[in-house]
Amino acid sequence: MAQLSLQHIDKVYDNNVQAVFDFNLDVKDGEFIVLVGPSGCGKSTTLRMIAGLEDISAGKLYLDGKDITATPAKDRDMAMVFQNYALYGHMTIYENMAFSLTLRKENPNVIHKKVLAAAEILGLTEQLNKKPAQLSGGQRQRVAMGRSIVRNPKLFLFDEPLSNLDAKLRGATRREIMLLHKRLGATMLYVTHDQTEALTLADRIVCMSMGHVQQVGTPLELYDSPANLFVASFIGLPPMNFFDVTVQDGRLVGREFSVSLTPEEKELLRGYERREITLGVRPENMAEGGDVAVKVFSNENLGMNTLVHGHVGQSNTPANKITAKLRGWCGYKEGDTVNLSFTRKHFFDKETTNAIQGGDRA
Amino acid sequence: MNEDRVIRADRMRFTKNTLSSGLVLLAILFDVFYFVNIYKSDIHHDVGTFYYQIRIGASIIYNLVFMLAAFLSSEGVKNYKVGYCYALIVIGALQIARIFILPAQAMAAEVTIGGVTTTVMQSAQHTRVVIYLLVSAACCLVAAVVGILRSRELAAHVASLERKAE
Repeated sequence: MAQLSLQHIDKVYDNNVQAVFDFNLDVKDGEFIVLVGPSGCGKSTTLRMIAGLEDISAGKLYLDGKDITATPAKDRDMAMVFQNYALYGHMTIYENMAFSLTLRKENPNVIHKKVLAAAEILGLTEQLNKKPAQLSGGQRQRVAMGRSIVRNPKLFLFDEPLSNLDAKLRGATRREIMLLHKRLGATMLYVTHDQTEALTLADRIVCMSMGHVQQVGTPLELYDSPANLFVASFIGLPPMNFFDVTVQDGRLVGREFSVSLTPEEKELLRGYERREITLGVRPENMAEGGDVAVKVFSNENLGMNTLVHGHVGQSNTPANKITAKLRGWCGYKEGDTVNLSFTRKHFFDKETTNAIQGGDRA
Repeated sequence: MNEDRVIRADRMRFTKNTLSSGLVLLAILFDVFYFVNIYKSDIHHDVGTFYYQIRIGASIIYNLVFMLAAFLSSEGVKNYKVGYCYALIVIGALQIARIFILPAQAMAAEVTIGGVTTTVMQSAQHTRVVIYLLVSAACCLVAAVVGILRSRELAAHVASLERKAE
């Protein structure tokens, strides 16, 4: 287990493209950190810098208090699991898992014990004599994890390990990774663009965009109190609805609707009187009955819930589009009008895009 | 110590007998050395048509059979199949027997070409090919013995695991 500290890390490529800007993070012992963000946001680059596969342009990297900024990858005592498994096709699963220890010339009996223990943890004991081609994608990814486990590294790094798997297998393997973390209690860093993986696996999430850290926090903090518009739009499925509104006499006045503010919200938005802000409402924070008239254009029944897609008021513009996740089975048809209320609101500064609040409960 | 032996036996469930298979491949290599040296002759040492008889065809075919059988056996012993170990003992014994066929005949034979009488195989060449055959045979025999011992150890270990499972 290990503590990792990234201090003011920058990554600038030879062509002067900067991929990571001033990345700061302290990872506690045994913590599961997920780096999440859209493609090209710098999350994999950050992970590769931690692993030593990319040079760090500026800043310092500490592992257990020791500066490892310039330490070669092989001496960092970290294990990385890749998206494409990186298994040796001509070796058996046993040989694949034992390979790194064999290279280190460890005692074969010790290697054997470690491989069997890792295989037991991952449920691979019956597969040890098979070749990777004989295994499913999920099993291959488990082998890749097993290869990391036998090394007993200080830090586990996962670079989008589930991206090659189908949806069902991804869910199962995700649960296995979760159990693995609980069982090993190891420090893990995990990169993904899938917010479901981030929300379910992480102790803390690092949300990134365009090379900048947007927010670091627990999954609940990111969901409940997004720091800015980007985090609010990225975390949550279906994504948050946004409307341009003006704060006016204790109400939020939009182009096609007007809703009242609670005393707490009025207090919070006191400095924004007669100013335009962005209102964010999650689809699940809406209920039937209220001041906001929505014209329905599609109704998706999901069993427990119904996704209602429509637009606020009469004009069907992108700015007016709204998705509501309503409880129960609804039978709205295209053209129906449904009145909705917002049970919870998020407010964002129009200029800075930062949250005016962390999303107080209404 | 006893635990180490158990772990070593258990390891064999997942690892190949590369020592035996490697030795058999080495045996094939030395057979190739023998094969490319046995018919050697030059302008100063012309053996005429001594080898141009049925023995050259038989020798070539036996070499091909040996290489095929040895290669198959190497794959067999690699997977702890004891039957292939016994096959290797036979192959190894035949390699020794070969010393007394073509090399011995060539060493004893003389040919006269243009009034000059010469021994078909000089002693230096004879020593060389005999060494090649001996090393090849030794590799086969050692591989077989190692294979038999390991196969038995593995079989006993698997049997003990099955007994425990019951």
